[in-house]
Amino acid sequence: MRPGLRTLFLTILVVVALACSLLIGPAGLAPWTSLRSLIAGGGEAATIIMRDIRLPRALLGLMVGASLGLSGAALQGFLRNPLAEPGIIGVSATASLGAVIVFYSGVAGLSVLALPAGALLGALVAVIVLLAIAAGNAGTLTLILAGVALSSLSAALTSLVLNLSPNPFASYEIIFWLLGSLKDRSMVHVWICAPLMIAGWLLIFRCGRALDALSLGEETAASLGIDLNRTRLMLVGGVALCVGAGTAVTGVIGFVGLVVPHVLRPFTDKLPSSLLLASSLGGAVLLLAADIASRIIVPGHELNVGVLTAMVGAPFFLWLVIHSRREVFS
Amino acid sequence: MSLNVCTDQLVLELADLDQIVSLSNLSGDPRLSFLHDKAAKFPKNSGLAEEVFLAHPDIVVTGTYSLHNTALILQKAKIPVEQFEYAQTLDTIPGDILRMGRILHHEDRAKALAASFEEKLSRFRAMPRGKRPSAVVFEQNGVALGAGTLADSVLGAAGFRNLVAEQGYSGMVPYPLELLVRDKPDVVLVTHSYEKAPSLADEIARHPAVKALGSDTTGNVVPPGSWACGGAFTMEAVEALRRLRDTLSKPKTGHSG
Repeated sequence: MRPGLRTLFLTILVVVALACSLLIGPAGLAPWTSLRSLIAGGGEAATIIMRDIRLPRALLGLMVGASLGLSGAALQGFLRNPLAEPGIIGVSATASLGAVIVFYSGVAGLSVLALPAGALLGALVAVIVLLAIAAGNAGTLTLILAGVALSSLSAALTSLVLNLSPNPFASYEIIFWLLGSLKDRSMVHVWICAPLMIAGWLLIFRCGRALDALSLGEETAASLGIDLNRTRLMLVGGVALCVGAGTAVTGVIGFVGLVVPHVLRPFTDKLPSSLLLASSLGGAVLLLAADIASRIIVPGHELNVGVLTAMVGAPFFLWLVIHSRREVFS
Repeated sequence: MSLNVCTDQLVLELADLDQIVSLSNLSGDPRLSFLHDKAAKFPKNSGLAEEVFLAHPDIVVTGTYSLHNTALILQKAKIPVEQFEYAQTLDTIPGDILRMGRILHHEDRAKALAASFEEKLSRFRAMPRGKRPSAVVFEQNGVALGAGTLADSVLGAAGFRNLVAEQGYSGMVPYPLELLVRDKPDVVLVTHSYEKAPSLADEIARHPAVKALGSDTTGNVVPPGSWACGGAFTMEAVEALRRLRDTLSKPKTGHSG
Protein backbone atom coordinates (compact mmCIF):
# COMPACT_ATOMS: atom_id res chain seq x y z
CA MET A 1 0.00 0.00 0.00
CA ARG A 2 1.28 3.47 -0.80
CA PRO A 3 2.48 5.33 2.30
CA GLY A 4 0.22 8.33 1.69
CA LEU A 5 -2.85 6.18 1.26
CA ARG A 6 -1.99 4.10 4.31
CA THR A 7 -1.57 7.15 6.49
CA LEU A 8 -4.80 8.66 5.21
CA PHE A 9 -6.74 5.46 5.87
CA LEU A 10 -5.35 5.11 9.40
CA THR A 11 -6.01 8.78 10.12
CA ILE A 12 -9.64 8.35 9.11
CA LEU A 13 -9.90 5.40 11.50
CA VAL A 14 -8.40 7.50 14.31
CA VAL A 15 -10.91 10.29 13.69
CA VAL A 16 -13.83 7.85 13.64
CA ALA A 17 -12.68 6.16 16.86
CA LEU A 18 -12.13 9.53 18.54
CA ALA A 19 -15.61 10.70 17.52
CA CYS A 20 -17.23 7.50 18.80
CA SER A 21 -15.36 7.82 22.07
CA LEU A 22 -16.69 11.36 22.47
CA LEU A 23 -20.28 10.48 21.57
CA ILE A 24 -20.76 7.36 23.68
CA GLY A 25 -21.51 7.64 27.37
CA PRO A 26 -24.08 6.85 30.05
CA ALA A 27 -25.59 10.35 29.95
CA GLY A 28 -27.05 9.57 26.50
CA LEU A 29 -26.56 13.00 24.96
CA ALA A 30 -27.68 13.47 21.36
CA PRO A 31 -24.67 13.54 18.99
CA TRP A 32 -25.45 17.04 17.79
CA THR A 33 -25.81 18.39 21.36
CA SER A 34 -22.57 16.69 22.32
CA LEU A 35 -20.53 18.24 19.54
CA ARG A 36 -22.08 21.67 19.93
CA SER A 37 -21.44 21.79 23.69
CA LEU A 38 -17.92 20.47 23.18
CA ILE A 39 -16.98 23.16 20.72
CA ALA A 40 -19.24 26.12 21.44
CA GLY A 41 -20.06 25.56 25.10
CA GLY A 42 -23.52 26.44 26.38
CA GLY A 43 -25.91 23.95 27.94
CA GLU A 44 -24.07 23.76 31.25
CA ALA A 45 -24.28 20.06 32.12
CA ALA A 46 -23.59 18.87 28.58
CA THR A 47 -20.55 21.11 28.34
CA ILE A 48 -19.10 19.77 31.61
CA ILE A 49 -19.74 16.21 30.48
CA MET A 50 -18.07 16.77 27.13
CA ARG A 51 -15.16 18.96 28.18
CA ASP A 52 -14.32 17.56 31.60
CA ILE A 53 -15.23 13.90 31.30
CA ARG A 54 -15.31 12.66 27.71
CA LEU A 55 -12.69 14.85 26.06
CA PRO A 56 -9.83 13.97 28.45
CA ARG A 57 -10.76 10.32 28.18
CA ALA A 58 -10.71 10.35 24.38
CA LEU A 59 -7.49 12.36 24.25
CA LEU A 60 -5.74 10.02 26.67
CA GLY A 61 -6.91 7.02 24.65
CA LEU A 62 -5.43 8.61 21.56
CA MET A 63 -2.14 9.65 23.14
CA VAL A 64 -1.48 6.55 25.23
CA GLY A 65 -2.49 4.25 22.37
CA ALA A 66 -0.19 6.07 19.96
CA SER A 67 2.67 5.93 22.48
CA LEU A 68 2.27 2.20 23.02
CA GLY A 69 2.01 1.43 19.30
CA LEU A 70 5.03 3.57 18.52
CA SER A 71 7.13 2.14 21.35
CA GLY A 72 6.25 -1.38 20.30
CA ALA A 73 7.27 -0.76 16.69
CA ALA A 74 10.52 0.93 17.74
CA LEU A 75 11.48 -1.79 20.22
CA GLN A 76 10.72 -4.59 17.77
CA GLY A 77 12.85 -2.85 15.16
CA PHE A 78 15.75 -1.98 17.40
CA LEU A 79 15.98 -5.29 19.22
CA ARG A 80 15.11 -7.24 16.07
CA ASN A 81 12.78 -9.19 18.30
CA PRO A 82 9.18 -9.81 17.22
CA LEU A 83 8.02 -10.25 20.81
CA ALA A 84 9.33 -6.94 22.14
CA GLU A 85 6.69 -4.61 23.53
CA PRO A 86 6.62 -2.23 26.54
CA GLY A 87 4.17 -4.45 28.43
CA ILE A 88 5.88 -7.76 27.79
CA ILE A 89 9.44 -6.63 28.41
CA GLY A 90 8.36 -5.11 31.72
CA VAL A 91 8.68 -1.39 31.00
CA SER A 92 5.00 -0.66 31.72
CA ALA A 93 5.06 -2.63 34.97
CA THR A 94 8.12 -0.83 36.34
CA ALA A 95 6.67 2.51 35.26
CA SER A 96 3.55 1.62 37.17
CA LEU A 97 5.60 0.71 40.23
CA GLY A 98 7.39 4.06 40.06
CA ALA A 99 4.07 5.91 39.85
CA VAL A 100 2.57 3.89 42.70
CA ILE A 101 5.49 4.60 45.03
CA VAL A 102 5.32 8.31 44.33
CA PHE A 103 1.53 8.51 44.53
CA TYR A 104 0.86 6.51 47.68
CA SER A 105 3.78 7.90 49.65
CA GLY A 106 2.14 11.30 49.25
CA VAL A 107 5.05 12.76 47.29
CA ALA A 108 2.75 13.26 44.30
CA GLY A 109 0.73 15.74 46.35
CA LEU A 110 3.73 18.07 46.48
CA SER A 111 4.04 18.65 42.75
CA VAL A 112 2.11 17.63 39.66
CA LEU A 113 5.39 16.63 38.07
CA ALA A 114 6.25 14.06 40.74
CA LEU A 115 3.86 11.40 39.48
CA PRO A 116 5.12 11.23 35.89
CA ALA A 117 8.68 11.60 37.16
CA GLY A 118 8.25 8.48 39.29
CA ALA A 119 6.81 6.51 36.38
CA LEU A 120 9.52 7.80 34.08
CA LEU A 121 12.22 6.67 36.44
CA GLY A 122 10.62 3.24 36.70
CA ALA A 123 10.38 2.89 32.92
CA LEU A 124 13.96 4.08 32.51
CA VAL A 125 15.30 1.44 34.89
CA ALA A 126 13.53 -1.30 32.93
CA VAL A 127 14.63 -0.10 29.50
CA ILE A 128 18.26 0.19 30.61
CA VAL A 129 18.29 -3.24 32.25
CA LEU A 130 16.76 -4.80 29.15
CA LEU A 131 19.07 -3.10 26.70
CA ALA A 132 22.03 -4.21 28.81
CA ILE A 133 20.78 -7.76 28.53
CA ALA A 134 20.16 -7.36 24.81
CA ALA A 135 23.66 -5.92 24.31
CA GLY A 136 25.11 -9.16 25.67
CA ASN A 137 23.96 -10.72 22.43
CA ALA A 138 21.11 -12.52 24.09
CA GLY A 139 18.52 -14.42 22.09
CA THR A 140 14.89 -13.48 21.60
CA LEU A 141 13.80 -15.64 24.47
CA THR A 142 16.28 -14.32 27.05
CA LEU A 143 14.98 -10.81 26.66
CA ILE A 144 11.36 -11.89 26.98
CA LEU A 145 12.12 -13.97 30.06
CA ALA A 146 13.98 -11.07 31.63
CA GLY A 147 10.89 -8.98 30.93
CA VAL A 148 8.67 -11.57 32.58
CA ALA A 149 10.88 -11.50 35.69
CA LEU A 150 10.86 -7.71 35.76
CA SER A 151 7.08 -7.58 35.31
CA SER A 152 6.37 -10.10 38.05
CA LEU A 153 8.70 -8.36 40.47
CA SER A 154 7.18 -4.96 39.76
CA ALA A 155 3.62 -6.27 40.03
CA ALA A 156 4.46 -7.87 43.38
CA LEU A 157 6.09 -4.70 44.70
CA THR A 158 3.17 -2.61 43.42
CA SER A 159 0.77 -4.83 45.38
CA LEU A 160 3.02 -4.59 48.42
CA VAL A 161 3.08 -0.80 48.38
CA LEU A 162 -0.70 -0.66 47.98
CA ASN A 163 -1.28 -3.18 50.76
CA LEU A 164 0.94 -1.21 53.12
CA SER A 165 -0.96 2.03 52.53
CA PRO A 166 -3.06 3.00 55.56
CA ASN A 167 -5.83 4.06 53.18
CA PRO A 168 -8.32 1.16 53.06
CA PHE A 169 -9.16 1.88 49.42
CA ALA A 170 -5.58 1.58 48.21
CA SER A 171 -5.55 -2.20 47.99
CA TYR A 172 -8.54 -2.13 45.62
CA GLU A 173 -6.47 0.04 43.33
CA ILE A 174 -4.07 -2.77 42.51
CA ILE A 175 -6.40 -3.58 39.65
CA PHE A 176 -6.10 -0.07 38.22
CA TRP A 177 -2.32 -0.08 38.26
CA LEU A 178 -1.96 -3.60 36.84
CA LEU A 179 -4.83 -3.52 34.34
CA GLY A 180 -5.09 0.16 33.43
CA SER A 181 -8.18 2.25 32.87
CA LEU A 182 -9.16 5.55 31.29
CA LYS A 183 -12.16 6.02 33.56
CA ASP A 184 -12.86 9.43 35.07
CA ARG A 185 -9.54 10.98 34.13
CA SER A 186 -9.47 14.75 33.75
CA MET A 187 -7.71 17.35 31.62
CA VAL A 188 -5.16 17.66 34.42
CA HIS A 189 -3.97 14.17 33.53
CA VAL A 190 -3.79 15.11 29.85
CA TRP A 191 -1.60 18.11 30.64
CA ILE A 192 0.61 16.06 32.96
CA CYS A 193 1.55 13.56 30.31
CA ALA A 194 1.24 15.43 27.00
CA PRO A 195 4.59 17.30 26.99
CA LEU A 196 6.58 14.23 28.04
CA MET A 197 4.86 12.03 25.49
CA ILE A 198 5.42 14.44 22.64
CA ALA A 199 9.10 14.64 23.56
CA GLY A 200 9.22 10.85 23.53
CA TRP A 201 7.54 10.67 20.12
CA LEU A 202 10.06 13.10 18.65
CA LEU A 203 13.01 11.12 20.00
CA ILE A 204 11.68 7.84 18.60
CA PHE A 205 10.78 9.26 15.18
CA ARG A 206 14.30 10.64 14.85
CA CYS A 207 15.60 7.07 15.19
CA GLY A 208 13.74 5.97 12.05
CA ARG A 209 16.68 5.96 9.64
CA ALA A 210 18.94 4.27 12.17
CA LEU A 211 16.35 1.55 12.71
CA ASP A 212 16.22 0.89 8.96
CA ALA A 213 20.00 0.56 8.81
CA LEU A 214 19.99 -1.68 11.88
CA SER A 215 17.65 -4.13 10.19
CA LEU A 216 20.65 -4.98 8.01
CA GLY A 217 22.73 -5.86 11.07
CA GLU A 218 24.80 -3.79 13.45
CA GLU A 219 28.02 -3.83 11.43
CA THR A 220 26.31 -2.76 8.24
CA ALA A 221 24.56 -0.04 10.16
CA ALA A 222 27.85 1.20 11.57
CA SER A 223 29.38 1.23 8.10
CA LEU A 224 26.41 3.32 6.93
CA GLY A 225 27.39 5.93 9.51
CA ILE A 226 24.86 5.12 12.21
CA ASP A 227 25.98 5.99 15.70
CA LEU A 228 24.65 3.00 17.59
CA ASN A 229 25.17 4.45 21.06
CA ARG A 230 23.35 7.63 20.19
CA THR A 231 20.46 5.68 18.69
CA ARG A 232 20.28 3.52 21.79
CA LEU A 233 20.17 6.56 24.07
CA MET A 234 17.46 8.25 22.01
CA LEU A 235 15.39 5.09 21.94
CA VAL A 236 15.75 4.45 25.66
CA GLY A 237 14.76 8.02 26.38
CA GLY A 238 11.89 8.00 23.91
CA VAL A 239 10.32 4.75 25.10
CA ALA A 240 10.73 5.68 28.77
CA LEU A 241 9.13 9.09 28.18
CA CYS A 242 6.17 7.71 26.19
CA VAL A 243 5.41 4.70 28.32
CA GLY A 244 6.26 6.34 31.64
CA ALA A 245 4.04 9.36 31.05
CA GLY A 246 1.15 7.21 29.86
CA THR A 247 1.38 4.63 32.64
CA ALA A 248 1.50 7.39 35.26
CA VAL A 249 -2.07 8.38 34.40
CA THR A 250 -3.69 5.19 33.09
CA GLY A 251 -1.91 2.26 34.74
CA VAL A 252 -0.50 -0.65 32.72
CA ILE A 253 -2.19 -1.27 29.39
CA GLY A 254 -0.58 -4.27 27.77
CA PHE A 255 -0.26 -5.79 24.32
CA VAL A 256 -1.18 -2.71 22.26
CA GLY A 257 2.47 -2.29 21.28
CA LEU A 258 2.72 -5.95 20.37
CA VAL A 259 -0.36 -6.44 18.24
CA VAL A 260 -0.38 -3.22 16.26
CA PRO A 261 3.04 -3.41 14.55
CA HIS A 262 2.42 -7.02 13.54
CA VAL A 263 -0.98 -6.28 12.08
CA LEU A 264 0.31 -3.29 10.13
CA ARG A 265 3.70 -4.65 8.99
CA PRO A 266 2.27 -6.45 5.91
CA PHE A 267 0.91 -3.12 4.67
CA THR A 268 4.32 -1.45 4.79
CA ASP A 269 7.57 -1.97 2.88
CA LYS A 270 8.76 -3.90 5.99
CA LEU A 271 11.21 -1.14 6.90
CA PRO A 272 11.01 -0.21 10.60
CA SER A 273 10.88 3.50 9.82
CA SER A 274 7.72 3.25 7.74
CA LEU A 275 6.10 1.25 10.52
CA LEU A 276 6.59 3.97 13.14
CA LEU A 277 3.88 6.40 12.03
CA ALA A 278 1.52 3.61 11.03
CA SER A 279 1.88 1.94 14.43
CA SER A 280 1.25 5.19 16.29
CA LEU A 281 -2.01 5.72 14.43
CA GLY A 282 -2.92 2.05 14.73
CA GLY A 283 -2.19 2.03 18.47
CA ALA A 284 -4.47 5.02 18.95
CA VAL A 285 -7.28 3.29 17.02
CA LEU A 286 -6.87 0.06 18.98
CA LEU A 287 -6.86 1.68 22.42
CA LEU A 288 -9.77 4.00 21.61
CA ALA A 289 -11.77 1.02 20.34
CA ALA A 290 -10.89 -1.10 23.36
CA ASP A 291 -11.86 1.74 25.67
CA ILE A 292 -15.23 2.16 23.94
CA ALA A 293 -15.80 -1.60 24.22
CA SER A 294 -14.89 -1.54 27.92
CA ARG A 295 -17.69 0.96 28.47
CA ILE A 296 -20.46 -0.81 26.57
CA ILE A 297 -19.85 -4.58 26.82
CA VAL A 298 -21.36 -4.89 30.29
CA PRO A 299 -24.05 -2.20 30.64
CA GLY A 300 -23.77 -0.19 33.83
CA HIS A 301 -20.47 -1.75 34.76
CA GLU A 302 -17.20 -0.54 33.36
CA LEU A 303 -14.36 -2.95 32.64
CA ASN A 304 -10.70 -2.15 32.91
CA VAL A 305 -9.42 -1.50 29.42
CA GLY A 306 -6.26 -3.52 30.14
CA VAL A 307 -8.46 -6.60 30.55
CA LEU A 308 -9.72 -6.21 27.00
CA THR A 309 -6.34 -5.51 25.41
CA ALA A 310 -4.97 -8.56 27.21
CA MET A 311 -7.84 -10.73 26.02
CA VAL A 312 -7.04 -9.81 22.44
CA GLY A 313 -3.28 -9.52 22.89
CA ALA A 314 -2.38 -12.55 24.96
CA PRO A 315 -3.69 -15.18 22.51
CA PHE A 316 -1.96 -13.23 19.75
CA PHE A 317 1.28 -13.30 21.75
CA LEU A 318 0.96 -17.06 22.17
CA TRP A 319 0.39 -17.51 18.46
CA LEU A 320 3.41 -15.33 17.77
CA VAL A 321 5.65 -17.31 20.12
CA ILE A 322 4.78 -20.55 18.34
CA HIS A 323 4.94 -18.96 14.91
CA SER A 324 8.25 -17.12 15.34
CA ARG A 325 10.06 -20.32 16.26
CA ARG A 326 9.60 -21.44 12.70
CA GLU A 327 9.96 -18.24 10.83
CA VAL A 328 12.96 -15.94 11.13
CA PHE A 329 11.87 -12.42 11.86
CA SER A 330 13.01 -9.92 9.29
CA MET B 1 -15.26 -9.37 72.14
CA SER B 2 -16.31 -7.66 68.89
CA LEU B 3 -14.72 -8.26 65.48
CA ASN B 4 -16.66 -5.76 63.39
CA VAL B 5 -16.70 -1.98 63.42
CA CYS B 6 -20.51 -1.89 63.50
CA THR B 7 -20.92 -4.34 66.36
CA ASP B 8 -18.04 -2.51 68.12
CA GLN B 9 -20.19 0.55 68.34
CA LEU B 10 -23.33 -1.25 69.49
CA VAL B 11 -21.20 -2.78 72.24
CA LEU B 12 -19.78 0.61 73.16
CA GLU B 13 -23.24 2.07 73.49
CA LEU B 14 -24.51 -0.63 75.81
CA ALA B 15 -21.78 -2.55 77.64
CA ASP B 16 -20.13 -1.90 80.99
CA LEU B 17 -16.45 -1.08 80.55
CA ASP B 18 -15.25 -4.32 82.11
CA GLN B 19 -17.44 -6.40 79.79
CA ILE B 20 -15.36 -5.51 76.75
CA VAL B 21 -12.39 -7.80 75.97
CA SER B 22 -11.40 -6.10 72.72
CA LEU B 23 -12.81 -4.25 69.71
CA SER B 24 -11.90 -4.39 66.03
CA ASN B 25 -9.01 -2.34 64.65
CA LEU B 26 -11.39 -0.17 62.65
CA SER B 27 -13.20 0.99 65.78
CA GLY B 28 -10.42 3.55 66.24
CA ASP B 29 -10.73 4.96 62.71
CA PRO B 30 -12.45 8.33 63.03
CA ARG B 31 -13.83 8.10 59.49
CA LEU B 32 -15.64 4.82 59.95
CA SER B 33 -16.32 4.72 63.64
CA PHE B 34 -18.41 7.47 65.18
CA LEU B 35 -17.48 6.30 68.67
CA HIS B 36 -13.73 6.18 67.98
CA ASP B 37 -12.92 8.34 71.02
CA LYS B 38 -14.71 5.96 73.29
CA ALA B 39 -13.09 2.99 71.53
CA ALA B 40 -9.61 4.37 72.07
CA LYS B 41 -9.10 2.97 75.56
CA PHE B 42 -9.88 -0.65 74.67
CA PRO B 43 -7.54 -3.29 73.24
CA LYS B 44 -7.94 -3.92 69.51
CA ASN B 45 -8.11 -7.13 67.49
CA SER B 46 -7.68 -7.79 63.75
CA GLY B 47 -10.54 -10.24 63.58
CA LEU B 48 -8.35 -13.38 63.58
CA ALA B 49 -9.63 -16.63 65.02
CA GLU B 50 -6.31 -17.08 66.88
CA GLU B 51 -6.85 -13.87 68.80
CA VAL B 52 -10.26 -15.09 69.90
CA PHE B 53 -8.85 -18.43 71.11
CA LEU B 54 -6.21 -16.61 73.17
CA ALA B 55 -8.62 -14.12 74.70
CA HIS B 56 -11.31 -16.70 75.34
CA PRO B 57 -14.29 -14.35 75.63
CA ASP B 58 -17.73 -15.47 76.78
CA ILE B 59 -19.18 -14.42 73.47
CA VAL B 60 -18.04 -12.99 70.12
CA VAL B 61 -20.15 -10.47 68.21
CA THR B 62 -19.50 -9.71 64.55
CA GLY B 63 -21.24 -8.81 61.30
CA THR B 64 -22.49 -11.17 58.62
CA TYR B 65 -20.86 -8.95 56.05
CA SER B 66 -17.24 -10.00 56.53
CA LEU B 67 -15.03 -12.50 58.36
CA HIS B 68 -17.30 -15.32 57.37
CA ASN B 69 -14.53 -17.89 57.66
CA THR B 70 -13.52 -16.71 61.10
CA ALA B 71 -17.08 -17.07 62.33
CA LEU B 72 -17.24 -20.63 60.95
CA ILE B 73 -14.01 -21.65 62.70
CA LEU B 74 -15.22 -20.19 65.99
CA GLN B 75 -18.55 -21.96 65.75
CA LYS B 76 -16.73 -25.23 65.15
CA ALA B 77 -14.62 -24.55 68.25
CA LYS B 78 -17.85 -24.07 70.22
CA ILE B 79 -17.20 -20.42 70.99
CA PRO B 80 -20.57 -18.63 70.89
CA VAL B 81 -20.78 -16.19 67.99
CA GLU B 82 -23.57 -13.69 67.42
CA GLN B 83 -23.69 -12.28 63.91
CA PHE B 84 -25.45 -9.03 63.09
CA GLU B 85 -26.85 -8.19 59.69
CA TYR B 86 -25.09 -5.34 57.98
CA ALA B 87 -27.47 -2.57 59.13
CA GLN B 88 -29.85 -1.85 56.29
CA THR B 89 -32.11 1.01 57.34
CA LEU B 90 -33.00 3.25 60.24
CA ASP B 91 -35.87 0.91 61.05
CA THR B 92 -33.64 -2.07 61.80
CA ILE B 93 -31.48 -0.13 64.27
CA PRO B 94 -33.78 -0.40 67.32
CA GLY B 95 -33.99 -4.17 66.77
CA ASP B 96 -30.20 -4.43 66.69
CA ILE B 97 -29.90 -2.35 69.85
CA LEU B 98 -32.37 -4.59 71.69
CA ARG B 99 -30.59 -7.73 70.50
CA MET B 100 -27.21 -6.44 71.66
CA GLY B 101 -28.82 -5.52 74.96
CA ARG B 102 -29.95 -9.13 75.44
CA ILE B 103 -26.49 -10.44 74.58
CA LEU B 104 -24.82 -8.10 77.07
CA HIS B 105 -27.50 -8.57 79.77
CA HIS B 106 -28.41 -4.90 79.71
CA GLU B 107 -31.92 -5.14 78.42
CA ASP B 108 -33.22 -2.11 80.29
CA ARG B 109 -30.47 0.09 78.96
CA ALA B 110 -31.14 -1.16 75.43
CA LYS B 111 -34.88 -0.65 75.73
CA ALA B 112 -34.41 2.96 76.83
CA LEU B 113 -31.92 3.64 74.02
CA ALA B 114 -34.10 2.03 71.35
CA ALA B 115 -37.17 3.85 72.58
CA SER B 116 -35.51 7.24 72.49
CA PHE B 117 -34.16 6.45 68.99
CA GLU B 118 -37.62 5.53 67.75
CA GLU B 119 -39.14 8.58 69.35
CA LYS B 120 -36.61 10.90 67.65
CA LEU B 121 -37.07 9.12 64.35
CA SER B 122 -40.82 9.48 64.36
CA ARG B 123 -40.44 13.14 65.29
CA PHE B 124 -38.26 13.67 62.20
CA ARG B 125 -40.65 11.75 60.00
CA ALA B 126 -43.61 13.77 61.26
CA MET B 127 -41.95 17.06 60.29
CA PRO B 128 -43.61 18.95 57.44
CA ARG B 129 -42.26 17.52 54.18
CA GLY B 130 -42.30 20.70 52.13
CA LYS B 131 -40.02 20.85 49.15
CA ARG B 132 -37.56 17.95 49.18
CA PRO B 133 -34.15 18.83 47.75
CA SER B 134 -32.38 16.12 45.78
CA ALA B 135 -29.17 14.54 47.03
CA VAL B 136 -26.56 12.04 45.91
CA VAL B 137 -24.18 10.33 48.28
CA PHE B 138 -21.06 10.02 46.15
CA GLU B 139 -18.38 8.03 47.90
CA GLN B 140 -14.86 6.97 47.03
CA ASN B 141 -14.34 5.57 43.53
CA GLY B 142 -17.61 7.08 42.36
CA VAL B 143 -19.69 4.60 44.31
CA ALA B 144 -23.12 5.93 45.17
CA LEU B 145 -25.60 4.70 47.75
CA GLY B 146 -28.91 3.61 46.25
CA ALA B 147 -32.16 2.23 47.59
CA GLY B 148 -32.09 -0.11 50.57
CA THR B 149 -28.97 1.41 52.14
CA LEU B 150 -28.75 3.04 55.53
CA ALA B 151 -27.83 6.32 53.85
CA ASP B 152 -30.96 6.13 51.71
CA SER B 153 -33.21 5.87 54.73
CA VAL B 154 -31.27 8.61 56.54
CA LEU B 155 -31.76 10.92 53.53
CA GLY B 156 -35.45 10.10 53.47
CA ALA B 157 -35.91 10.81 57.17
CA ALA B 158 -34.06 14.10 56.82
CA GLY B 159 -36.36 15.22 54.03
CA PHE B 160 -34.17 14.62 50.97
CA ARG B 161 -34.83 12.71 47.77
CA ASN B 162 -32.13 10.19 47.01
CA LEU B 163 -31.59 10.74 43.30
CA VAL B 164 -29.64 7.51 42.93
CA ALA B 165 -32.47 5.41 44.36
CA GLU B 166 -34.95 7.23 42.09
CA GLN B 167 -32.92 6.13 39.07
CA GLY B 168 -33.52 2.54 40.08
CA TYR B 169 -30.13 1.84 41.63
CA SER B 170 -30.03 -0.10 44.87
CA GLY B 171 -27.25 -0.94 47.27
CA MET B 172 -23.73 0.42 46.86
CA VAL B 173 -23.30 0.90 43.12
CA PRO B 174 -20.74 2.48 40.83
CA TYR B 175 -22.49 5.60 39.60
CA PRO B 176 -21.30 7.21 36.38
CA LEU B 177 -19.89 10.69 36.82
CA GLU B 178 -21.76 11.72 33.67
CA LEU B 179 -25.14 11.02 35.26
CA LEU B 180 -24.18 13.06 38.30
CA VAL B 181 -23.37 16.02 36.06
CA ARG B 182 -26.50 15.56 33.93
CA ASP B 183 -28.95 15.42 36.84
CA LYS B 184 -27.32 18.13 38.90
CA PRO B 185 -28.54 17.23 42.40
CA ASP B 186 -28.98 20.03 44.94
CA VAL B 187 -26.52 18.39 47.27
CA VAL B 188 -23.62 16.04 46.58
CA LEU B 189 -22.39 14.42 49.75
CA VAL B 190 -18.81 13.28 49.28
CA THR B 191 -16.77 11.43 51.83
CA HIS B 192 -13.89 13.02 53.64
CA SER B 193 -10.67 11.86 52.07
CA TYR B 194 -7.68 10.49 53.93
CA GLU B 195 -5.30 13.42 53.77
CA LYS B 196 -2.18 11.60 54.82
CA ALA B 197 -2.64 8.48 52.71
CA PRO B 198 -3.65 9.33 49.17
CA SER B 199 -5.63 6.96 46.99
CA LEU B 200 -7.12 7.18 43.52
CA ALA B 201 -10.48 6.42 45.11
CA ASP B 202 -10.46 9.81 46.82
CA GLU B 203 -9.53 11.67 43.64
CA ILE B 204 -13.02 11.39 42.21
CA ALA B 205 -14.40 13.94 44.65
CA ARG B 206 -11.86 16.45 43.36
CA HIS B 207 -12.59 15.78 39.67
CA PRO B 208 -13.09 19.08 37.82
CA ALA B 209 -16.51 17.88 36.66
CA VAL B 210 -17.67 17.42 40.23
CA LYS B 211 -16.33 20.82 41.20
CA ALA B 212 -17.98 22.44 38.19
CA LEU B 213 -21.38 21.13 39.29
CA GLY B 214 -21.97 24.09 41.55
CA SER B 215 -24.06 21.91 43.86
CA ASP B 216 -23.08 21.88 47.49
CA THR B 217 -20.30 19.34 47.47
CA THR B 218 -19.00 18.92 50.90
CA GLY B 219 -17.51 16.27 53.05
CA ASN B 220 -18.39 18.08 56.23
CA VAL B 221 -22.15 17.84 56.52
CA VAL B 222 -22.59 14.45 58.08
CA PRO B 223 -20.43 13.69 61.14
CA PRO B 224 -17.79 11.17 59.99
CA GLY B 225 -18.78 7.59 60.72
CA SER B 226 -22.30 8.43 61.85
CA TRP B 227 -23.94 6.60 58.97
CA ALA B 228 -21.31 4.05 58.08
CA CYS B 229 -22.86 1.81 60.72
CA GLY B 230 -26.28 1.78 62.29
CA GLY B 231 -26.52 2.70 65.97
CA ALA B 232 -28.21 5.23 68.19
CA PHE B 233 -25.63 7.73 66.96
CA THR B 234 -26.98 7.46 63.39
CA MET B 235 -29.57 9.98 64.52
CA GLU B 236 -26.70 12.53 64.41
CA ALA B 237 -26.57 12.03 60.64
CA VAL B 238 -30.31 12.59 60.34
CA GLU B 239 -30.06 15.74 62.45
CA ALA B 240 -27.14 17.13 60.46
CA LEU B 241 -28.88 16.52 57.13
CA ARG B 242 -32.13 18.00 58.39
CA ARG B 243 -30.25 21.17 59.35
CA LEU B 244 -28.70 21.28 55.88
CA ARG B 245 -32.10 20.80 54.29
CA ASP B 246 -33.57 23.66 56.32
CA THR B 247 -30.79 26.04 55.28
CA LEU B 248 -31.28 24.97 51.66
CA SER B 249 -35.00 25.62 51.60
CA LYS B 250 -34.85 29.04 53.25
CA PRO B 251 -33.43 31.12 50.39
CA LYS B 252 -35.51 30.51 47.29
CA THR B 253 -33.37 28.68 44.78
CA GLY B 254 -34.26 28.03 41.20
CA HIS B 255 -34.12 24.25 41.46
CA SER B 256 -37.28 22.28 41.13
CA GLY B 257 -37.90 20.21 44.22
